[in-house]
Amino acid sequence: MDRYQFEDLISDFIENKLSMNQRKDFETYLDENPEAMQQLDSVKQVMASMKSMPEVSTSINFMKNLNKRIAAEKEAQSVVKTTRSFAGYTPLMASLSAVVVVAVVLLGLEFMPEATNQATFTPTMAEQQVDDLLPVLPTQASDELLAESEDDSTNVDEDMPNTTDFKDRIQLVGDRRP
Amino acid sequence: MPEEFRYTDEELIARFQDGDEQAYVELVNRYRDRLMSFIFRFVNDMEKAEDIVQDTLMKLYTHRHFYRNIAKFSTWIYTIAGNLAKTELRRKKRHKVTHLSHMGTEEREYQLPSVEPETGETAQGHFAEKQIQNAIQELPLHFRTVVILRDIQELSYEEISKIVDVPLGTVKSRINRARLQLQQALKEFR
Repeated sequence: MDRYQFEDLISDFIENKLSMNQRKDFETYLDENPEAMQQLDSVKQVMASMKSMPEVSTSINFMKNLNKRIAAEKEAQSVVKTTRSFAGYTPLMASLSAVVVVAVVLLGLEFMPEATNQATFTPTMAEQQVDDLLPVLPTQASDELLAESEDDSTNVDEDMPNTTDFKDRIQLVGDRRP
Repeated sequence: MPEEFRYTDEELIARFQDGDEQAYVELVNRYRDRLMSFIFRFVNDMEKAEDIVQDTLMKLYTHRHFYRNIAKFSTWIYTIAGNLAKTELRRKKRHKVTHLSHMGTEEREYQLPSVEPETGETAQGHFAEKQIQNAIQELPLHFRTVVILRDIQELSYEEISKIVDVPLGTVKSRINRARLQLQQALKEFR
Protein backbone atom coordinates (compact mmCIF):
# COMPACT_ATOMS: atom_id res chain seq x y z
CA MET A 1 0.00 0.00 0.00
CA ASP A 2 1.32 3.47 -0.86
CA ARG A 3 0.38 6.86 0.54
CA TYR A 4 -2.30 7.56 -2.09
CA GLN A 5 -4.01 4.22 -1.51
CA PHE A 6 -3.85 4.87 2.23
CA GLU A 7 -5.49 8.31 1.85
CA ASP A 8 -8.21 6.89 -0.38
CA LEU A 9 -9.19 4.41 2.32
CA ILE A 10 -9.07 6.70 5.39
CA SER A 11 -12.82 7.43 5.50
CA ASP A 12 -13.74 3.81 4.89
CA PHE A 13 -11.39 2.75 7.71
CA ILE A 14 -12.89 5.30 10.14
CA GLU A 15 -16.43 4.27 9.19
CA ASN A 16 -15.50 0.60 9.42
CA LYS A 17 -16.33 -0.19 5.81
CA LEU A 18 -13.17 -1.99 4.73
CA SER A 19 -13.00 -5.69 3.98
CA MET A 20 -10.86 -7.85 6.29
CA ASN A 21 -7.96 -7.94 3.85
CA GLN A 22 -8.10 -4.19 3.19
CA ARG A 23 -8.24 -3.50 6.92
CA LYS A 24 -5.19 -5.71 7.55
CA ASP A 25 -3.21 -3.90 4.81
CA PHE A 26 -4.31 -0.53 6.17
CA GLU A 27 -3.26 -1.34 9.73
CA THR A 28 0.07 -2.67 8.52
CA TYR A 29 0.68 0.63 6.71
CA LEU A 30 -0.24 2.55 9.89
CA ASP A 31 2.21 0.53 11.96
CA GLU A 32 4.99 1.21 9.47
CA ASN A 33 4.27 4.94 9.05
CA PRO A 34 3.84 7.02 12.21
CA GLU A 35 2.94 10.13 10.16
CA ALA A 36 0.08 8.14 8.61
CA MET A 37 -1.22 7.45 12.10
CA GLN A 38 -1.02 11.20 12.86
CA GLN A 39 -2.92 11.99 9.69
CA LEU A 40 -5.60 9.46 10.59
CA ASP A 41 -6.02 10.99 14.05
CA SER A 42 -6.17 14.43 12.51
CA VAL A 43 -8.97 13.43 10.11
CA LYS A 44 -10.87 11.84 12.98
CA GLN A 45 -10.58 15.10 14.93
CA VAL A 46 -11.87 17.12 11.99
CA MET A 47 -14.87 14.84 11.68
CA ALA A 48 -15.55 15.04 15.41
CA SER A 49 -15.24 18.84 15.35
CA MET A 50 -17.69 19.12 12.49
CA LYS A 51 -20.19 16.87 14.25
CA SER A 52 -19.95 18.97 17.38
CA MET A 53 -20.50 22.27 15.61
CA PRO A 54 -23.53 23.96 17.17
CA GLU A 55 -26.77 23.88 15.22
CA VAL A 56 -27.68 27.22 13.73
CA SER A 57 -31.26 28.27 14.33
CA THR A 58 -33.50 30.55 12.37
CA SER A 59 -34.26 33.98 13.79
CA ILE A 60 -37.30 34.68 15.97
CA ASN A 61 -38.96 36.51 13.08
CA PHE A 62 -38.60 33.56 10.75
CA MET A 63 -42.13 32.18 11.12
CA LYS A 64 -43.64 35.66 11.07
CA ASN A 65 -41.90 36.46 7.77
CA LEU A 66 -42.77 33.07 6.30
CA ASN A 67 -46.43 33.50 7.23
CA LYS A 68 -46.42 36.94 5.58
CA ARG A 69 -45.03 35.45 2.38
CA ILE A 70 -47.60 32.65 2.46
CA ALA A 71 -50.41 35.17 2.97
CA ALA A 72 -49.12 37.17 -0.01
CA GLU A 73 -48.94 33.98 -2.07
CA LYS A 74 -52.52 33.06 -1.15
CA GLU A 75 -53.68 36.55 -2.09
CA ALA A 76 -51.88 36.33 -5.43
CA GLN A 77 -53.52 32.97 -6.08
CA SER A 78 -56.99 34.34 -5.26
CA VAL A 79 -56.39 37.27 -7.64
CA VAL A 80 -55.44 34.83 -10.39
CA LYS A 81 -58.61 32.85 -9.70
CA THR A 82 -60.88 35.91 -9.92
CA THR A 83 -59.22 37.15 -13.07
CA ARG A 84 -60.12 33.87 -14.76
CA SER A 85 -63.82 34.07 -13.97
CA PHE A 86 -65.02 35.27 -17.42
CA ALA A 87 -65.51 31.95 -19.19
CA GLY A 88 -61.80 31.24 -19.07
CA TYR A 89 -60.74 34.74 -20.20
CA THR A 90 -58.99 37.41 -18.20
CA PRO A 91 -60.85 40.75 -18.11
CA LEU A 92 -58.22 42.26 -20.40
CA MET A 93 -58.58 39.48 -22.96
CA ALA A 94 -62.37 39.59 -22.74
CA SER A 95 -62.36 43.39 -23.31
CA LEU A 96 -59.97 43.11 -26.25
CA SER A 97 -62.04 40.35 -27.82
CA ALA A 98 -65.21 42.43 -27.43
CA VAL A 99 -63.53 45.48 -29.04
CA VAL A 100 -62.33 43.38 -31.97
CA VAL A 101 -65.82 41.89 -32.54
CA VAL A 102 -67.47 45.34 -32.45
CA ALA A 103 -64.82 46.76 -34.83
CA VAL A 104 -65.38 43.93 -37.32
CA VAL A 105 -69.17 44.47 -37.25
CA LEU A 106 -68.83 48.25 -37.73
CA LEU A 107 -66.37 47.85 -40.61
CA GLY A 108 -68.68 45.33 -42.21
CA LEU A 109 -71.61 47.76 -42.06
CA GLU A 110 -69.40 50.56 -43.40
CA PHE A 111 -68.37 48.69 -46.51
CA MET A 112 -71.74 47.06 -47.21
CA PRO A 113 -73.49 48.56 -50.35
CA GLU A 114 -76.36 50.94 -49.53
CA ALA A 115 -78.89 49.23 -51.89
CA THR A 116 -78.62 46.06 -49.94
CA ASN A 117 -79.33 48.01 -46.81
CA GLN A 118 -82.59 49.47 -48.13
CA ALA A 119 -83.92 46.75 -50.42
CA THR A 120 -86.01 44.05 -48.97
CA PHE A 121 -85.03 41.81 -51.87
CA THR A 122 -81.35 41.16 -52.42
CA PRO A 123 -80.64 39.85 -55.91
CA THR A 124 -78.14 37.13 -56.33
CA MET A 125 -75.05 37.76 -58.45
CA ALA A 126 -76.50 35.94 -61.47
CA GLU A 127 -79.69 37.97 -61.26
CA GLN A 128 -77.62 41.13 -60.95
CA GLN A 129 -75.72 40.27 -64.15
CA VAL A 130 -78.97 39.67 -66.05
CA ASP A 131 -80.27 43.03 -64.85
CA ASP A 132 -77.13 44.75 -66.13
CA LEU A 133 -77.80 43.40 -69.64
CA LEU A 134 -81.40 44.64 -69.80
CA PRO A 135 -82.11 48.22 -70.99
CA VAL A 136 -82.61 50.69 -68.22
CA LEU A 137 -86.24 51.69 -67.81
CA PRO A 138 -86.72 55.44 -68.22
CA THR A 139 -87.40 57.40 -65.11
CA GLN A 140 -89.11 60.80 -64.91
CA ALA A 141 -85.83 62.73 -65.20
CA SER A 142 -84.65 60.79 -68.22
CA ASP A 143 -88.04 61.40 -69.94
CA GLU A 144 -87.52 65.15 -69.68
CA LEU A 145 -83.99 64.91 -71.07
CA LEU A 146 -85.28 62.79 -73.94
CA ALA A 147 -87.95 65.35 -74.71
CA GLU A 148 -85.33 68.10 -74.90
CA SER A 149 -83.10 66.07 -77.17
CA GLU A 150 -86.11 65.33 -79.45
CA ASP A 151 -86.72 69.03 -79.81
CA ASP A 152 -83.11 69.57 -80.83
CA SER A 153 -83.10 66.68 -83.26
CA THR A 154 -86.15 68.08 -85.06
CA ASN A 155 -84.16 71.16 -85.85
CA VAL A 156 -81.18 69.14 -87.03
CA ASP A 157 -83.43 66.98 -89.25
CA GLU A 158 -84.71 70.04 -91.00
CA ASP A 159 -81.18 71.14 -92.01
CA MET A 160 -79.87 67.77 -92.99
CA PRO A 161 -80.81 65.85 -96.16
CA ASN A 162 -82.94 62.76 -95.89
CA THR A 163 -80.50 60.03 -95.13
CA THR A 164 -82.98 57.18 -94.81
CA ASP A 165 -82.11 55.73 -98.22
CA PHE A 166 -78.80 53.94 -97.77
CA LYS A 167 -79.26 51.74 -100.77
CA ASP A 168 -76.47 53.28 -102.85
CA ARG A 169 -74.24 53.93 -99.90
CA ILE A 170 -73.91 50.41 -98.59
CA GLN A 171 -71.57 48.14 -100.42
CA LEU A 172 -71.46 44.57 -99.15
CA VAL A 173 -68.31 42.46 -99.20
CA GLY A 174 -67.95 40.83 -102.57
CA ASP A 175 -70.26 43.36 -104.29
CA ARG A 176 -68.38 44.39 -107.40
CA ARG A 177 -70.62 47.27 -108.34
CA PRO A 178 -68.84 50.39 -109.53
CA MET B 1 -46.39 14.22 20.77
CA PRO B 2 -45.38 10.61 21.56
CA GLU B 3 -43.02 9.12 18.97
CA GLU B 4 -45.44 6.34 17.94
CA PHE B 5 -48.14 8.87 17.04
CA ARG B 6 -45.86 11.09 15.02
CA TYR B 7 -46.52 11.26 11.31
CA THR B 8 -43.60 10.51 9.01
CA ASP B 9 -42.42 13.30 6.71
CA GLU B 10 -43.95 11.49 3.76
CA GLU B 11 -47.31 11.21 5.52
CA LEU B 12 -47.20 14.90 6.36
CA ILE B 13 -46.47 16.00 2.81
CA ALA B 14 -49.27 13.72 1.59
CA ARG B 15 -51.66 15.39 4.02
CA PHE B 16 -50.43 18.81 2.94
CA GLN B 17 -51.00 17.88 -0.70
CA ASP B 18 -54.57 17.05 0.31
CA GLY B 19 -54.98 20.56 1.74
CA ASP B 20 -53.99 20.14 5.40
CA GLU B 21 -52.02 23.30 6.14
CA GLN B 22 -51.22 22.14 9.66
CA ALA B 23 -49.11 19.40 8.09
CA TYR B 24 -47.11 22.13 6.34
CA VAL B 25 -46.49 23.91 9.64
CA GLU B 26 -45.27 20.64 11.16
CA LEU B 27 -42.87 20.09 8.23
CA VAL B 28 -41.57 23.65 8.60
CA ASN B 29 -40.97 23.11 12.30
CA ARG B 30 -39.12 19.88 11.62
CA TYR B 31 -36.87 21.22 8.90
CA ARG B 32 -36.27 24.94 9.35
CA ASP B 33 -33.30 24.61 11.75
CA ARG B 34 -31.78 21.63 9.95
CA LEU B 35 -31.94 23.50 6.68
CA MET B 36 -30.62 26.65 8.34
CA SER B 37 -27.60 24.76 9.64
CA PHE B 38 -26.93 23.20 6.24
CA ILE B 39 -27.30 26.45 4.31
CA PHE B 40 -25.38 28.59 6.78
CA ARG B 41 -22.41 26.20 6.72
CA PHE B 42 -22.64 26.36 2.95
CA VAL B 43 -22.95 30.12 2.29
CA ASN B 44 -21.43 31.45 5.55
CA ASP B 45 -23.92 34.29 5.82
CA MET B 46 -26.77 34.22 8.35
CA GLU B 47 -29.05 36.61 6.52
CA LYS B 48 -28.60 34.94 3.17
CA ALA B 49 -28.99 31.52 4.77
CA GLU B 50 -32.29 32.54 6.34
CA ASP B 51 -33.52 33.95 3.03
CA ILE B 52 -32.63 30.72 1.27
CA VAL B 53 -34.39 28.62 3.93
CA GLN B 54 -37.46 30.84 3.52
CA ASP B 55 -37.31 30.40 -0.25
CA THR B 56 -36.99 26.65 0.19
CA LEU B 57 -40.02 26.48 2.47
CA MET B 58 -41.98 28.75 0.13
CA LYS B 59 -41.14 26.38 -2.70
CA LEU B 60 -42.41 23.56 -0.53
CA TYR B 61 -45.65 25.52 -0.17
CA THR B 62 -46.11 26.49 -3.80
CA HIS B 63 -44.71 23.34 -5.41
CA ARG B 64 -46.12 20.79 -2.98
CA HIS B 65 -47.70 18.81 -5.82
CA PHE B 66 -44.32 18.34 -7.49
CA TYR B 67 -43.29 15.94 -4.74
CA ARG B 68 -43.82 12.30 -5.67
CA ASN B 69 -43.61 9.60 -3.06
CA ILE B 70 -40.74 7.83 -4.84
CA ALA B 71 -38.02 9.57 -2.83
CA LYS B 72 -37.72 10.52 0.81
CA PHE B 73 -39.13 13.91 1.64
CA SER B 74 -35.82 14.94 3.24
CA THR B 75 -34.00 14.16 -0.03
CA TRP B 76 -36.40 16.38 -1.95
CA ILE B 77 -36.23 19.33 0.46
CA TYR B 78 -32.44 19.16 0.77
CA THR B 79 -32.15 19.08 -3.03
CA ILE B 80 -34.24 22.25 -3.32
CA ALA B 81 -32.25 23.98 -0.57
CA GLY B 82 -28.91 22.92 -2.04
CA ASN B 83 -29.84 24.15 -5.51
CA LEU B 84 -31.00 27.51 -4.15
CA ALA B 85 -27.80 27.85 -2.13
CA LYS B 86 -25.63 27.11 -5.17
CA THR B 87 -27.58 29.65 -7.22
CA GLU B 88 -27.03 32.23 -4.49
CA LEU B 89 -23.31 31.52 -4.35
CA ARG B 90 -22.96 31.85 -8.13
CA ARG B 91 -24.89 35.13 -8.00
CA LYS B 92 -22.71 36.35 -5.13
CA LYS B 93 -19.60 35.47 -7.11
CA ARG B 94 -20.83 37.56 -10.05
CA HIS B 95 -21.67 40.60 -7.91
CA LYS B 96 -18.84 40.52 -5.44
CA VAL B 97 -19.64 43.73 -3.59
CA THR B 98 -19.22 43.80 0.17
CA HIS B 99 -22.01 45.46 2.12
CA LEU B 100 -22.63 45.18 5.83
CA SER B 101 -25.80 43.21 5.18
CA HIS B 102 -23.87 40.75 3.03
CA MET B 103 -21.19 40.02 5.60
CA GLY B 104 -21.00 36.70 7.39
CA THR B 105 -21.27 36.36 11.15
CA GLU B 106 -17.52 36.51 11.42
CA GLU B 107 -17.39 40.03 10.05
CA ARG B 108 -20.47 41.08 11.98
CA GLU B 109 -18.92 40.03 15.23
CA TYR B 110 -16.28 42.70 14.72
CA GLN B 111 -19.00 45.28 14.16
CA LEU B 112 -21.25 44.11 16.96
CA PRO B 113 -19.13 42.53 19.72
CA SER B 114 -20.82 40.38 22.32
CA VAL B 115 -21.65 42.15 25.57
CA GLU B 116 -21.17 39.03 27.69
CA PRO B 117 -17.53 38.15 28.41
CA GLU B 118 -16.57 34.73 27.04
CA THR B 119 -14.97 32.12 29.24
CA GLY B 120 -11.67 30.58 28.01
CA GLU B 121 -13.35 27.34 26.93
CA THR B 122 -16.18 29.07 25.07
CA ALA B 123 -13.78 31.38 23.29
CA GLN B 124 -11.67 28.42 22.23
CA GLY B 125 -14.78 26.62 21.02
CA HIS B 126 -15.85 29.65 18.98
CA PHE B 127 -12.36 30.00 17.56
CA ALA B 128 -12.30 26.35 16.50
CA GLU B 129 -15.77 26.66 14.98
CA LYS B 130 -14.69 29.73 13.02
CA GLN B 131 -11.59 27.97 11.75
CA ILE B 132 -13.60 24.98 10.57
CA GLN B 133 -16.23 27.24 9.02
CA ASN B 134 -13.51 29.15 7.14
CA ALA B 135 -11.86 25.93 6.02
CA ILE B 136 -15.22 24.66 4.71
CA GLN B 137 -15.59 27.85 2.65
CA GLU B 138 -12.27 27.09 0.97
CA LEU B 139 -13.57 23.77 -0.35
CA PRO B 140 -14.84 23.52 -3.91
CA LEU B 141 -18.67 23.50 -4.04
CA HIS B 142 -19.00 19.83 -4.93
CA PHE B 143 -16.83 18.87 -1.93
CA ARG B 144 -18.47 21.37 0.38
CA THR B 145 -22.02 20.11 -0.20
CA VAL B 146 -21.29 16.47 0.46
CA VAL B 147 -19.07 16.93 3.50
CA ILE B 148 -21.64 19.20 5.19
CA LEU B 149 -24.42 16.75 4.46
CA ARG B 150 -22.38 13.86 5.82
CA ASP B 151 -20.42 15.25 8.77
CA ILE B 152 -22.72 18.03 9.99
CA GLN B 153 -26.15 16.88 8.86
CA GLU B 154 -25.24 13.21 9.31
CA LEU B 155 -27.15 11.96 6.28
CA SER B 156 -26.44 8.55 4.76
CA TYR B 157 -24.22 8.18 1.71
CA GLU B 158 -27.19 6.89 -0.27
CA GLU B 159 -29.30 9.91 0.55
CA ILE B 160 -26.46 12.30 -0.26
CA SER B 161 -26.00 10.51 -3.57
CA LYS B 162 -29.67 11.16 -4.40
CA ILE B 163 -29.55 14.79 -3.23
CA VAL B 164 -26.52 15.75 -5.30
CA ASP B 165 -27.47 13.32 -8.07
CA VAL B 166 -24.07 11.67 -8.47
CA PRO B 167 -23.12 7.99 -8.08
CA LEU B 168 -22.50 6.60 -4.62
CA GLY B 169 -18.81 5.91 -5.32
CA THR B 170 -18.26 9.51 -6.40
CA VAL B 171 -19.94 10.75 -3.22
CA LYS B 172 -17.70 8.58 -1.04
CA SER B 173 -14.61 9.72 -2.87
CA ARG B 174 -15.60 13.40 -2.63
CA ILE B 175 -16.31 13.15 1.09
CA ASN B 176 -12.95 11.50 1.69
CA ARG B 177 -11.13 14.17 -0.38
CA ALA B 178 -13.00 16.95 1.42
CA ARG B 179 -12.01 15.56 4.83
CA LEU B 180 -8.37 15.36 3.76
CA GLN B 181 -8.45 18.94 2.50
CA LEU B 182 -10.01 20.13 5.76
CA GLN B 183 -7.44 18.20 7.74
CA GLN B 184 -4.65 19.88 5.77
CA ALA B 185 -6.20 23.34 6.16
CA LEU B 186 -6.76 22.96 9.90
CA LYS B 187 -3.40 21.33 10.64
CA GLU B 188 -1.69 24.65 11.15
CA PHE B 189 -4.25 25.82 13.72
CA ARG B 190 -3.70 22.85 16.03
